[in-house]
Formats: sequence, structure tokens, C-alpha cells
Amino acid sequence: MTTNDILYSVRELVVEYHTRVGDLNAVDHVSLDIKRGEVLGLVGESGCGKSTLGKALMRMIQDPGRIVSGELWFNDVELLSLSNEKMRQLRGSRISMIFQDPMTSLNPVQRVVDHITETIQVHEPKTSDKAARARAAELVDRLGINRNRLDDYPHQLSGGMRQRVMISLALALRADLVIADEATTSLDVIVEAQFLDLLKELREEFDLTILLITHNIGLVAELADRVAVMYAGRMAEVAEIRQLFSDAKHPYAQGLLKAVPNIRLDDDELYKMPGSPPNLITAPTGCRFHPRCPQVMEICAQQAPKFQEVSPGQLASCWLYQEHPEKAGQAA
Amino acid sequence: MTDTTQNPIQALPADLENIGILQRLWRGRIWYGTEWYITVFGGLILAVMITMTIFAPLIAPYDPNDFVGAPFTAPGKGQQALLARAGQSPITDTADLTDVVIGVQRNRNGGNLAKELGAKGKRYQTEDELLAGLTSGEVDLIFVNQDLVPELLAAHPDFEIVAEKMGHRFALGTDNLGRDIVSRLIWGARTVLQVALSSALFSSVIGIALGLISGFVSGALDRVVSLIMDSIYSFPGLLLAIAMVTMLGPGLFNVAIAVSVIYVPTFFRVVRGQVLSIKEELYVEAARSLGAKPITILSKYIFPNVIPSVVVVFSLNVADAILTEAGLSFVGLGLPPDIPDWGYDLSKGHSFLVAGHWWMITFPGIMITLVAVGFSLLGEGLSEILNPRLVKN
Amino acid sequence: MSSALRRYIVVRILLTIPMLLILVSLVFVVLRVLPGDPALAILREGASDEQLASFRAALGLDQPLHIQYLNFISGVVRFDFGESMTRSIPVIDEIKTFFPATMELAIAGMFITTVVGIFSGAFAAQHRKKASDYIIRILSIILYSLPIFWLGLMLQMSFGAGLGWLPVSGRLSPGMTPEQTITGMYTIDAILTGNWPLFKDAITHLIMPAITLGLVLAGIFTRLTRANMLDVLEQDFITAGRARGLKERVLVYKHGLRNAFIPIVTLLGLQFALLLAGAILTETTFSWPGMGRLVIDRIYDRDFTTVQGAILFFALMVAGASLIVDILYGFLDPRIRY
Repeated sequence: MTTNDILYSVRELVVEYHTRVGDLNAVDHVSLDIKRGEVLGLVGESGCGKSTLGKALMRMIQDPGRIVSGELWFNDVELLSLSNEKMRQLRGSRISMIFQDPMTSLNPVQRVVDHITETIQVHEPKTSDKAARARAAELVDRLGINRNRLDDYPHQLSGGMRQRVMISLALALRADLVIADEATTSLDVIVEAQFLDLLKELREEFDLTILLITHNIGLVAELADRVAVMYAGRMAEVAEIRQLFSDAKHPYAQGLLKAVPNIRLDDDELYKMPGSPPNLITAPTGCRFHPRCPQVMEICAQQAPKFQEVSPGQLASCWLYQEHPEKAGQAA
Repeated sequence: MTDTTQNPIQALPADLENIGILQRLWRGRIWYGTEWYITVFGGLILAVMITMTIFAPLIAPYDPNDFVGAPFTAPGKGQQALLARAGQSPITDTADLTDVVIGVQRNRNGGNLAKELGAKGKRYQTEDELLAGLTSGEVDLIFVNQDLVPELLAAHPDFEIVAEKMGHRFALGTDNLGRDIVSRLIWGARTVLQVALSSALFSSVIGIALGLISGFVSGALDRVVSLIMDSIYSFPGLLLAIAMVTMLGPGLFNVAIAVSVIYVPTFFRVVRGQVLSIKEELYVEAARSLGAKPITILSKYIFPNVIPSVVVVFSLNVADAILTEAGLSFVGLGLPPDIPDWGYDLSKGHSFLVAGHWWMITFPGIMITLVAVGFSLLGEGLSEILNPRLVKN
Repeated sequence: MSSALRRYIVVRILLTIPMLLILVSLVFVVLRVLPGDPALAILREGASDEQLASFRAALGLDQPLHIQYLNFISGVVRFDFGESMTRSIPVIDEIKTFFPATMELAIAGMFITTVVGIFSGAFAAQHRKKASDYIIRILSIILYSLPIFWLGLMLQMSFGAGLGWLPVSGRLSPGMTPEQTITGMYTIDAILTGNWPLFKDAITHLIMPAITLGLVLAGIFTRLTRANMLDVLEQDFITAGRARGLKERVLVYKHGLRNAFIPIVTLLGLQFALLLAGAILTETTFSWPGMGRLVIDRIYDRDFTTVQGAILFFALMVAGASLIVDILYGFLDPRIRY
């Protein structure tokens, strides 16, 4: 994992939430590599742990949650071993985040420019107010916001503009990794399209690595190079975008793709996956997807499959592609 | 819950629906943690107070209005020792005390005791005069404070102790008129709870009724009532109570009425707000569209939902009413002086503060605080526990 | 000041008028309409019919209620509260003498409340569900359950009568008089005139009453701040700020507090009534010659006009405070300003 083309490597990460009714593993032994310069889509149903994983990457899990075990390698540094202060310095400067709701993610009583200069100055304390303001102006210019809007308050901007401000905050210190957590969910379709175009442009220009967390497969198809599919806190499949769309391995990933509405789809009814996502406090044994899986086997309920390569560049955690006693028995 | 190895927390939601309210409260300690202990602690304080109120006549050592001791007897003091010149005690087993003269000092407890013994008393102004009286033979015996005995005997080896530890001992002392503070505290609890509970009851009945109607009917009536309630709410409560008591005159009932006016708006606001939101709920809409009468909707669908918040507001308002009642008495506008009352006792103590009679102001204040804290803790904790949103989750 | 803000303020001022009218009517109802005859309440049982009649005539109490009401309102509008029945001076002059003392006490108390309340509330919210949070919460419950006058008595007894560090009561030591009255608040007058001995004397007299008033209200304020801070700290922009690497201290005390402050200020307007009620009791405890003392002393003196005027003035103070809070709100929240 020290190979230079891997920017962020998650190893066996476990995030636990302690609730009044019991503990739950929101992220359960997840491993994932993010390559330098790529856009990695992270998809799954709501509640599958993808947002928790995104927050965990920045070590921002709040009470009652906790990172229990695992390793987070970023630029060959293990983040879990860093002091809080060192970690804080990384946030916003090397790893940054674009949030779901630009309406509520900006401080309503702080001017736009102060958001940006504050971010610059907290990481580069020597920057003068004037220089910071100049950089902020340059940045918003680049993002297509008129610089005379700098002194506005967030409520004076439109949703699209606020999302651009959020992007400018994420880019203010030229972060290596930008985590976009459902960044387009609250935007309308046209603004979303503009946002995507902007992100594509910026990706080239700023040399960005992006982790795109979303439940919107269409968005992933549009933008991502690779896709990671999560289910119930575990990684189901990771594949190149083409591989996934042409030949998804994990039954859950297959179901997810079939459930995407398609304009060309006329008489076929949209596929509905049977069952509903499990309650993680009393998670299913073995493979967590087995109660809903159309190809369930006996082993699935007993033991969790390993997450391993099933074809070049494609990883999945499914007994269909792994040796197990049952299969051996059948063969014999 | 037959399986004892099961985690109790996990077992909780499953059978929460099937258990009684008391059991549910007891289980709450697991569910709510610290909040639960806060509530129970508040409840315990109140349980003690209420028991005290009910059994006041049995528990209180004296009548709260009787001048049972000397004024300003310090806590733990009050008992007397009988001294005589050494070897000249007139007291024998059969002696008749009618001719014996006992010297007593002004504002000490000896006077009553001498009377009880059937002896003549002679009153001296100061301790020196008293001692001189015994030395000179003017009196046969003297009563002195028990705690002064060792000192006196050391200074006057010619005296001897005839009897010790006579008369009353006042655990928390006496006030400026010689009334027992313990008894006044116990009877005062009765007064304060009577006023606070009945005023909260008055205001809850009126506030809830107005809130239900105003929120349910809405329109012009709602606006007018809300405006009036808001202005009462924004007016300093104590001043309103002062004005009302001045006009109505003192007395338990009048004070309760005056205090209750202050708290009508709090009930009104909470109930009205709840009604407004419940009214929009689907099940109420459904009942309405099925032709349920307004009175049915109010009593069957809306009223049960406001009960939890009313309970919480009630508890918090009682706490506040206690403070207001005490404040009224403290400024001298509360109850007539023959009703034992903590606030009144504090105002009396205030006059003697510089003289250093700390017990007169310390204990009634502690009692007021304790009862108010009890109701506040209960209300705070209940607001977490009775919150229907939390119970359902 | 933007035109929007100016419009906002004008609207607020206009909205104060109905509130004021209702408050004044409330006072009228309590003093004139409710059972209880002012003449009897003031002159007590045993007054002759003639005395009662002349009392009623002097106050216009013999007129029908609606005429009384109109006279009452027009008096308030002209700031004419009649003449004191015991001092033969206009009631408004009496109020002018006593009001600054209440103002001084209220401002000092408010200052202590705000400082103590905001910091302990924000601190508790920051350490939610930790030991320090529970300790602060329980302390604040105890504080607001304390009878305000009793806290005053305890302070008087320990620091005044006992240790002798601070004067037990009053506003100034005997013999001290301000040479010149500007605001009527002795501490401020002393600063304005540079009279340092007077300042020292006035401030030593102010400390205990201000702490008494301030601490009890700080209990409520802590609670309000904590609740509002918890709401704010759960909002997205705090998480977003954390993701930008802002320091926790900055998030809580700059971003969080600034936002929590807006609802707190509104609530504070509602709590102003508590401040005044607390001031009445504090004034009684410390023989502080303010409006509360004026009302209570004159009730004893049976000076109906002064009592009525002072209570009316309290209503004006309440309306004024609510107006000030509304205007402050406009300045604090940019969403109103533009």
C-alpha cells in the first residue's frame, strides 16, 4: 500500500455506534484504496454506512460513534496514530469535504468571504487578511461567482452559488482528496448538471482526487472512474465503472443496477429488490445480504465471505466466487 | 425477560408496550441514565416533604405559634441547669417549692421552668446580677443555660449543680418570639405546599382550558387571548402578585389566586402550541373528515397528547410558585402572621440579621430551596422521560 | 443602517403600541376592575363612608369604569401618573428618583448573568453528557430554585455582617452624596465626574445585590444557553467547519455561540420580567432604594397613586425592554438586516 499511485488506503476499518438500544457496526471491516487522481464513486442505500465511512476518512466520527479498529493510510501516513491537532491540520488543507446541503453547511451569520479567509488563515496563519481576501476573490472568480458577492451572507445566495462556495472552501488550500458527500442531492437537476461540469473542469485543473459518496448511480456513471458498492456497513464490490455496468459480480450490485430507472426502459417494470436493509443492531449472520439475496446458499448465513479479487481490478465479497466447503462438497 | 443472560438494554424496547407505568418508570433507569436519577432524587425530596406535611401535627415537637422558649435560643441550646450555693440546696425529696425563690435571667428559658416547678421566680436583667443574687442569698436557686455550667462553676466554686438538662432543647433554635424553629419549618411546609399546589392547580385548569380552546378554534379569539396571555407573561410575576394581593387582601386563598394568575400563561402557551401542531396531524385530520365532533376531537385526540407536557410544566410551575409565595411573604404581603410560613420567617430573620442570629434565616431558606429544587428536578427529569417522542423511539 | 433595518425598527416600534396598551389595561384591570376596592384596600376596614367617598372622588374612582379607563390611558400617554398621596409631589418625580437605582442594579445583575450564564452554558454544551455538563446543569437548577432574597440574606450575613468585607445594605455609606446627578446611577455618575471615592463606595455597595440578582438569573441563562448551543452545535455548518480544520474552541465559542446568541437574546427579552421581579426582592433584601422598594413601601404607606404609577412604570419598562431586544435582534441576525 505504499505504491505511489494510491493516495488513500483504508484497511479493515471498523466504526461502531453506541446507542440506547445497543451497539451497531456502521462500518464493518471495510478496506478500500483510493487512487491518486481518480474519481471513486461510493454507492449504497441510505444507512449503509457510506457517509460514516466518508466521515471516518477525516476522523470526524462524533459521539456516540467511535473508530474501533483499522488503519487509515493517507499519503503513507497512518491517520489514526496522529494527534488530534495534527489531524485537525490535515482537515480542510489536505483532505476536504463538500457537504450535502449547501443551505445549512454555511454559517448563516458569517459573510462568504470570512468563511474562506478563516479557512485559509487557520491553516496558513501567516497569511495577512488582505492576502487571504485576494485569494478568496480569485477562488470565487474561478468558480463563477461574482467577486462582489464576497461580502454577502449565505442566505443572499442561490443554492447553486452556495454549493460553489462550498467547493471553493474545499479547494481553498488545494486539498489532495475531496470527499463529496451527497453533494448534489439537494440541488435541482439543472444546477446539478452545472455542478458536475464544474467538478469535471476542476478535476483537471486542480489535479483532484475525488471520493463521490452518493446513492445516485447515474451520477457515478457520469463522473466516476471506479465504483465501490457498500451494503449494510460492508464493502460488497469495487470495480472499474465499465466492469460494474457490464458485469457486476455481487448480487446486491446487480440488483442495484437493475433498479436504476432508465429512459429507454419502456415496458419492463422497474426491478424492486426484495426485502429491506437490515437493522444493524441485530445484523444478519454471515453475509449481511443473504436474507435478500436471490442466489443465497447455505454457507451465506453461516460465514461472511472474504472481500477479494474476483477478476483483474474487480473485488467482491460473495461466496459465489470463493471456494467454500459447500461448493467443495458439490464438486465431490 | 426469562432469559437473564440477555442484555437488558436490548430486551427493553420489545416489551416496553406491555408493562405498567410503574415498571416502566423503574426500567427507565437503564434507558435514561442520569436523567432518571435526577428525577428520582427530586421525587424523593418531595416524598419526604409531603410526608412531613401530612403528619405535621405528629412530627412537630411544639405548636408553631407557641412561645415555647426564650427568644433567640441558638440551635441545640435551650436546656437549663439549676444551681444553688454549695450545700444549701433547698431541694429535697419531699420539699415544698412554693416558698423557694428561683432567680431567672430575662430572655432565658428559666422563667417557664420555675413556673412549672411551682416556685417563685425573680427576674434579673443580666447574668452578673443573677449570679450576684444567688451569692447574696436573695434567691435560693438560679436557672442558667446548660452550656454555661462548666464556666460558671469554675468561676464560682461556691455553687453546685442541683439539676441538669431541664426543659426544652431546640434543635434549630427559636425565633425572636421564642417559637420553635423546627416546628415552624414543619408546619411551614404545609402552608407552602398548600399555596403552591393549589395555585398551580388553578392556573393549570384555566390555562389548559384556554389553550385548548384558543388553539383549536384559532382565528380572532386565538389572537386576542394569545396577546393577553403574552402580556401577562411579560409582566414581572411577583409585581402582579403584589398588586393582586394588595387589592384582594391577605389570606391563604387570596395568595393562591394571586400566584396562580402568573402561571396561567405558561400552561396556555404550552397547550396552545401543542394543539396547533397536533391539529395538523393526519389522524386528527382523518377523524375530522370522518365527521367527529370538535368536542370529541379535543377530548379524545388532542387532550391526551398534551398531558405529558402539562405534567412537566406543572412541576416546574410549582417550583416557581413556591418561590413567588415566599417572595410575597418576604416583602410582607403574603399570609397573615398566624400562619407559619417560611417566607415570613425569613423576613423576621432579616430584621435580626446584623445581630448574628443566623439560624433564623438559614433554615427556612434551606427548606424553600429544597422544595423548589425537588420540583425542578422532577420537572426536568420528567420532561425527558415523558417525552412521547422518546418513548416511541 | 440599511433601509431594510430601518423599516424593521419602525415596524417594531409600531408593534410595541398594542403591547403597551394591553399591559396598561392589565394594570387597570388588576387595580380597578377585579374584586377589591382600592379605597378599602388602602384605607382599610374602619374608614368612615365620608373618607371612602372623598378618596374615591379624589382618584376618580366614583366614575363609570369606561371613563376611568379613558382617564387612565390618557394619563399614561401624557406620562402623568397623578400626585403622590403622601408626598404631595407628582408621582413621576418620585419615579425619577427611584428608577435609576433599579436600572443600576438591573444592568449590573444582567452583566453577571450574561457572563456566567453564557460561559457555563456553552461549556456544558461543549462537554455534553460528561461529568462537567451534569454538574453545571444541577448547579443551575439549584441556582434558579434559590429564593433570590435568601441568597441575598446569606451573602449579607457572611460577607456583610460576618466578615465585614462589604456594606450590608444601601446604595452609599452615610455621609456620601453624589455632588451631581447625571444618570442617577451612582457608579456611572462617579465615573463621569471622576469622583473616585464615591465610585469605590458605590461599587462596594453594588457588588452583593448585583451578585445576588445575577447568580439566580444565571441559572436560567445557563440552561437557555446550553439548550440553544446544543441545537446549534448539531447543525451542519459546525460539522462543515470541523471538516475545514477549524479549531474546536473556535467552532464552539465563535461560530456556535454567535448563532446560539440570536434565540438567546429573544428569550432574554421574555426573561426581563424575571429580572425585574428579582430586582424587587433584591431591593428589599439590601434596602436598595429602587422601584421595587418604592412600590412596597408605598403599599405600606397606603399611597395608592404612587403604587399605581410605579406599577404602570414597570409596564412601560417591560414594553421598552421588549422593543430593545427586538432591535438588538435586528442587528444580530443578518437575515433580518437585509
